[in-house]
Amino acid sequence: MDMIAGLIQTSILAGGVLALAALGETLSERAGVVNLGVEGLMALGAITGIAVVVATPHPMLGFVLALAVGFLVGCVFALGTVVVKANQVLCGLALTLMGTGMAATIGRAYSGMPAPATFAPIAIPYLSDIPLLGRAIFTQNILVYLIYIVLPVVLHYIMFRTRHGLNMRAVGENPAAADAAGISVQSIRFWYVAAGSALAAGAGAYLTLAFVPSWSEGVVAGRGWIAVSLVIFAGYRPLNAVLAALLFGLITSLGFVGQARNWPIAAPILSMLPYLGTIALIIVPVLAWQRMRRVMAAPAALGEPYFRDMR
Amino acid sequence: MAIKFQRVPSAQPSVAFAARALAIVLALGVAGLVLAARGNAPVELAWEVLSSTFGSSFGLEDVGLLVTPLILTGLSVWVALRIGAWNIGAEGQFYAGAFSATAVALFIPGPTWLILPVMFTAGALGGLLWILVPTLARAYADVSELITTLLLNFVATLMVYYVATGPWLDPSGHALATTARLPHDVPEFWGIVHYGFPLAILLTFVIAGLLNYTRWGYEVRIAGSNPSAALYAGMPFRRRLIVILLMSGAIAGIAGMLEVAGTVHRLQGGISNNFGYLGIMVAVLARGSSLGVLAGAALMGVILNSGIILQTQGITVSAVLAITGLILFFTAIGNELAHYRITRTEPAAS
Repeated sequence: MDMIAGLIQTSILAGGVLALAALGETLSERAGVVNLGVEGLMALGAITGIAVVVATPHPMLGFVLALAVGFLVGCVFALGTVVVKANQVLCGLALTLMGTGMAATIGRAYSGMPAPATFAPIAIPYLSDIPLLGRAIFTQNILVYLIYIVLPVVLHYIMFRTRHGLNMRAVGENPAAADAAGISVQSIRFWYVAAGSALAAGAGAYLTLAFVPSWSEGVVAGRGWIAVSLVIFAGYRPLNAVLAALLFGLITSLGFVGQARNWPIAAPILSMLPYLGTIALIIVPVLAWQRMRRVMAAPAALGEPYFRDMR
Repeated sequence: MAIKFQRVPSAQPSVAFAARALAIVLALGVAGLVLAARGNAPVELAWEVLSSTFGSSFGLEDVGLLVTPLILTGLSVWVALRIGAWNIGAEGQFYAGAFSATAVALFIPGPTWLILPVMFTAGALGGLLWILVPTLARAYADVSELITTLLLNFVATLMVYYVATGPWLDPSGHALATTARLPHDVPEFWGIVHYGFPLAILLTFVIAGLLNYTRWGYEVRIAGSNPSAALYAGMPFRRRLIVILLMSGAIAGIAGMLEVAGTVHRLQGGISNNFGYLGIMVAVLARGSSLGVLAGAALMGVILNSGIILQTQGITVSAVLAITGLILFFTAIGNELAHYRITRTEPAAS
């Protein structure tokens, strides 16, 4: 029982990184822009977070500044992909290379240093006293509640229950029709890409301030790409994305449990689990449920720049 | 007279070339400014790089050694792009190729003239197997090959790290985290540059010939520029896609084999040196041209080598990666802006 409770606690903690990044990517992709720079944004957020807590003992400040860095870098990315309308795949890969490279260069001074201040777990009164799993689920840091409950519900409400959300999804599905209806395709895409990038960088700060919690080169380790895959798996829906992140977190923490319990499998092999699991999770459902393809399909205009005068 | 910007469907090659050249200059300029802000003297650093790269035969040999894998990983990404597929996993296929070639060298005894070709084949097969699942997933389930190939990079990195620190660790006990020295070398033909260099160039021409002068290549190019047109014309899109992607993986695998057998001589973690990711840059700089792959690889080789020369100045491989990203970003923007034509129109008489 202890092992299962520990597994769930770690899964929630590990899934939080993926959930936050995936929520950001969902925003961007629903507006029609693929942001493949998540990996780089997370690296930038991770180093921002650690640099701030080394200077001041306030993890929340580190998290907020990481969001700000992500937002600014996201604006540059949106300038390339939305305003100039350059190839989204290329710009995304460029952002990943730039972010990873820059973070590693800046981060040499912080390498291996544990975060001096972190987001500590908070036990929610009464709920955390529930026998069996209460402690595992309700003794988490504050960001976990934000990422798993507040943010997805708010985003779901905005995207699926408001006029503005309808406009935003229309821009991702059929920008020409949205444009004809008087919606500004460019501004919706620009701001959602920037907001999504901010969340991705926030996920990086979560990584170094709440999960790992220290900086080392390659600390992001492909989580940005797993988050991008997770959005596909979740069918571009924020509530699904969070549940999927939990599942992916479970796969990650299986590796941790294996290492802690001295399973007779080498650590590098256990570390392969999240990547292999992700590949399986994006291939198998498509093969198993052909009918689900239409329901979970990507926004129709995903990845395509919109030119008003081209028909 | 009014000046109007008009977007045309395909960019003029000369404008696209100028845009890419400008992108590279701008990115290097930005990198120079950052260096200057950090207190380095960019002009002197540039001079140091240029003189130690082109001032001696040793400098050119170093570049040649780096260009070999860059040509092949660039070619790997470039081939996949011909049919419109993104192989972002050249890094992983590179590792898989190096892994398979090392397995042959370490565990199959025999004379070098026999084992080297077997290693070569094993390297190509390793790369091919590494891209097999993403290829089939893309062809039969329409799962984005971009993400699956990329995720496998991490698996390949871990696999090589595992064998180099575990089961295949150098038994002599002198080396940490690497296998024993391989008993077979790709022979050298110019200083430290091995025969992989001319082989990579030859392979580029062979593949360019296949794509440009055969019916098969024609169908691949049509499928790349307009899949629905290719299907409508009865071309077997799926079969072409599978062959091209497997070829792409095999080429990256060959790059890994040549790197371990020609340059490093031991399998170790980090042997790929980001060649797979830099290959994306090479393919993007090359656009449609096969000669462009060679030119792009030469350019990236010089940039990577500059990073190595400047390591003593506190510049790291990561900084080179960041600069590469900057070039890629500016190139993407330049590629798009090259689609615009400036037209002058007489104002209508009023």
